[in-house]
Amino acid sequence: MRDAVLTLEIARAKSARGVRHRRFVDRSATTLLWCAALAVLALLTLFVGYILYLGAPAISWQFLTSPPSEVSAGGGIGPEIYNSFYILGLTLLFTVPVAVAAGIYLQEYARPGAFRTLVQFSAESLATVPSIVMGLFGLLVFVYLLRWRFSAIGGALTLTILNLPALMRVTQEALFSVPQTYREASMALGATRWGTIWRIVLPSAVGALTTGVILIAGRIFGETAALIYTAGVSVAAGKGAYDLNPFRPAETLAVHVWYTHAESVVPDVARIGNGSALVLLVMVLLFNVVARIVGRSLTRRFTGR
Amino acid sequence: MAAIATPRIGVFATRAHRQEFIAMLVLRAASTFVVVAISALFLYLAIEGTKLFTVDHVSPFQFLFSPVFNPDANKPGSLVFIVGSLSVTLFAVLVGGPFGIAVGVFLAELAPPRMVAAMKPAIEVLVGIPSVVYGWIGLTLLVPLIRTVTGSNGFGLLAAGTVLSVMILPTVITLSEDAMRTVPNSLREGSLAMGATRWQTISRVLLPAAASGLTVAVILGIARAIGETLAVQLVIGNAAVLPQGLLGATAALPTEIVIDMAGAQQGSLLEHALFSMAFLLLLIAMALILAVRFALRKRA
Amino acid sequence: MQLIEAQESTGLKMDVRDLNVFYGSFHAIKDANLRVTEQMVTALIGPSGCGKTTFLRALNRMHDLTPGANVTGTVSLDGTNIYDSSVDPVVVRHRVGMVFQRANPFPKSIFENVVYGPKIHGERNRDALLSCAEKSLRRAALWDEVKDRLFRSALDLSGGQQQRLCIARVLAVEPEVILMDEPASALDPIATSKIEDLIGELKKDYTVVIVTHSMQQAARISDITAFFLLGDLIEVGTTSEIFTRPKDRRTEDYITGRYG
Repeated sequence: MRDAVLTLEIARAKSARGVRHRRFVDRSATTLLWCAALAVLALLTLFVGYILYLGAPAISWQFLTSPPSEVSAGGGIGPEIYNSFYILGLTLLFTVPVAVAAGIYLQEYARPGAFRTLVQFSAESLATVPSIVMGLFGLLVFVYLLRWRFSAIGGALTLTILNLPALMRVTQEALFSVPQTYREASMALGATRWGTIWRIVLPSAVGALTTGVILIAGRIFGETAALIYTAGVSVAAGKGAYDLNPFRPAETLAVHVWYTHAESVVPDVARIGNGSALVLLVMVLLFNVVARIVGRSLTRRFTGR
Repeated sequence: MAAIATPRIGVFATRAHRQEFIAMLVLRAASTFVVVAISALFLYLAIEGTKLFTVDHVSPFQFLFSPVFNPDANKPGSLVFIVGSLSVTLFAVLVGGPFGIAVGVFLAELAPPRMVAAMKPAIEVLVGIPSVVYGWIGLTLLVPLIRTVTGSNGFGLLAAGTVLSVMILPTVITLSEDAMRTVPNSLREGSLAMGATRWQTISRVLLPAAASGLTVAVILGIARAIGETLAVQLVIGNAAVLPQGLLGATAALPTEIVIDMAGAQQGSLLEHALFSMAFLLLLIAMALILAVRFALRKRA
Repeated sequence: MQLIEAQESTGLKMDVRDLNVFYGSFHAIKDANLRVTEQMVTALIGPSGCGKTTFLRALNRMHDLTPGANVTGTVSLDGTNIYDSSVDPVVVRHRVGMVFQRANPFPKSIFENVVYGPKIHGERNRDALLSCAEKSLRRAALWDEVKDRLFRSALDLSGGQQQRLCIARVLAVEPEVILMDEPASALDPIATSKIEDLIGELKKDYTVVIVTHSMQQAARISDITAFFLLGDLIEVGTTSEIFTRPKDRRTEDYITGRYG
């Protein structure tokens, strides 16, 4: 049956009409694929342009620095921006060491076997846990079990677990890109495995690793669902809003956008949402640019090029 | 002469050994933490998520298949949210899946280097845009658009599904591109050498060869869509009714959790029902991971 | 000169007995026996894929790094089996250095490359490191070419220079045995002859085992030659024996170019 079809195709291909037809299909398909790709670029441009258009009028120094308002118009997002960075910093502090260590273990140490399979399967499973489910887990552990109430640290620890798999993956990919010959050369000189990793492999991987970490930092910055029931939806009043104390509720900017729209009674919800969305988008773009620049310069510095 | 049995350079070698030992310990501990984290999460949610059945004696059947969600009257039927979640996800995969695969194929097979260089950062940015911003764009741009075009109120399945189709794009694009790139070049050359056009090569040789990888791309797209919360919550309409067609407002599992959790008393039937929904989401995610493993095993 | 005489004239450095190497179920080396003599160059020759490199890597436990590789038999270094459970592979590799087929300098400066070994073994003193670097680079006949750019990236050197840098890097840890895996195969003739001259110098102080696919090279630089075919060590003899009066028919066929 297949053979028959094939023969038929060959016969048709040989006829001029067949060739024209095949060329037409090929061209149409190529055009279609090009359109799909261009559509992605167009979508992104649309989003960025639209958010800029919406948000620009809302942005002012006062908006970026003043505290939110409970009932009246004119609230700002100062404490929320601070909290977003604060929780991001805390999260990276916890998640980077653990994820890099686990990534090194999987990529450089673990032999195929039950333990490696278990760790890999755990990481994959963790990676697909929806962030709202992770948020409820954080609620159970940090709010109910440890009785921290809604707190910056609870939110950060929840995000730590949420982002472990992505960071492990980044670590593994960065290590994978280091040529095996470096490891062999170092081991052949009598270096231990850890000595090789510390002096040769990590310095060669640090550029790619940093790029990956900063890109993930961008995602942590905008995370919402996991934070609503762990870090909470409120900020302290007055000076307390900029507290370094991790055991206080800490609404982030992304949570603020959602919460203002869903629950709050202020009349200028649209203005706050538009302005905050713009700030969030600019931060994402910034993280992307910084990631590339820092990654490149670190690679240059650590590999002597 | 047992020089190699005892380290030759005495103190330094032993220090290196001590470091090696400590490093191993730390790395193993970190890896163990990952296992502990997912186990604890699963266990905790399993306990909390089944209290509805063990403490409140609601039948799982009622929870899964009754459309009546009225926790105050002991009726935590979640069919609406389950159907809502499944329909927005299905919509997203039907639209975003082929679209994403097309772009992935384009990047792997057709795109000139300069186009790849432009697309890669663009996709990174699309991944990075917070879900609440996607939701905000949906709320302020898409919903009014649907309202104007169709005359409905704009919120509903169509809006949520559309937002989700965009949100799963980066996942599907990246993974399907990877899948295409793992197809050995010999297949590509073999087909082209027989006089096949590029499209024939792609559609008849490369796509089938990459089938398992593309399946994984779609499955992980589903995983991303089904758990998405805020972007969906902002545009789905949040009505606890089964969707009446594409334009109908409805609700999904994550959106119901995020809205009602704030008002749920610890230990109440409502809280238990919400944790059951979260556990259900977790089970779906786990099932999807197993599906990925299965798809990849078939290839090997 | 007969093999036994040659080997007894100096000392026995390494003694390989009944060595078998497996990659998964693939039997890569079958019951190989070889005595490596001190201060001589032992060449391993044979067609590609015959197991020369696999054999070489068994001499400093590099197979430990390859998942799925399994080694049986004994390899003694000064009388101690390096595969004994009490032996630390790191110390083995410290005493038995290796130069690879493709030059593989670290992405660091020339200086950092050379002093990498001394540093990991605990040397911190910068003057000591500098003099060690100079000594090693001189021995590797590279000093004059790089002395003005010690702190520039090693990746900017030419292929031949990179390979001599890798040799200098091995010399800096003062090994007793140097294993070389086709060190000149990626180099042009001039760079190759520099490496060969260098090997001639090195054997005064070190024991050298070199894998080569070039019979001419083996004839030029080695004292003892071992011929491998499909995982079997067919014949060992002094280089002149092997090239003029091979005992085994297969060796003769290879030497005379019957198979490549």
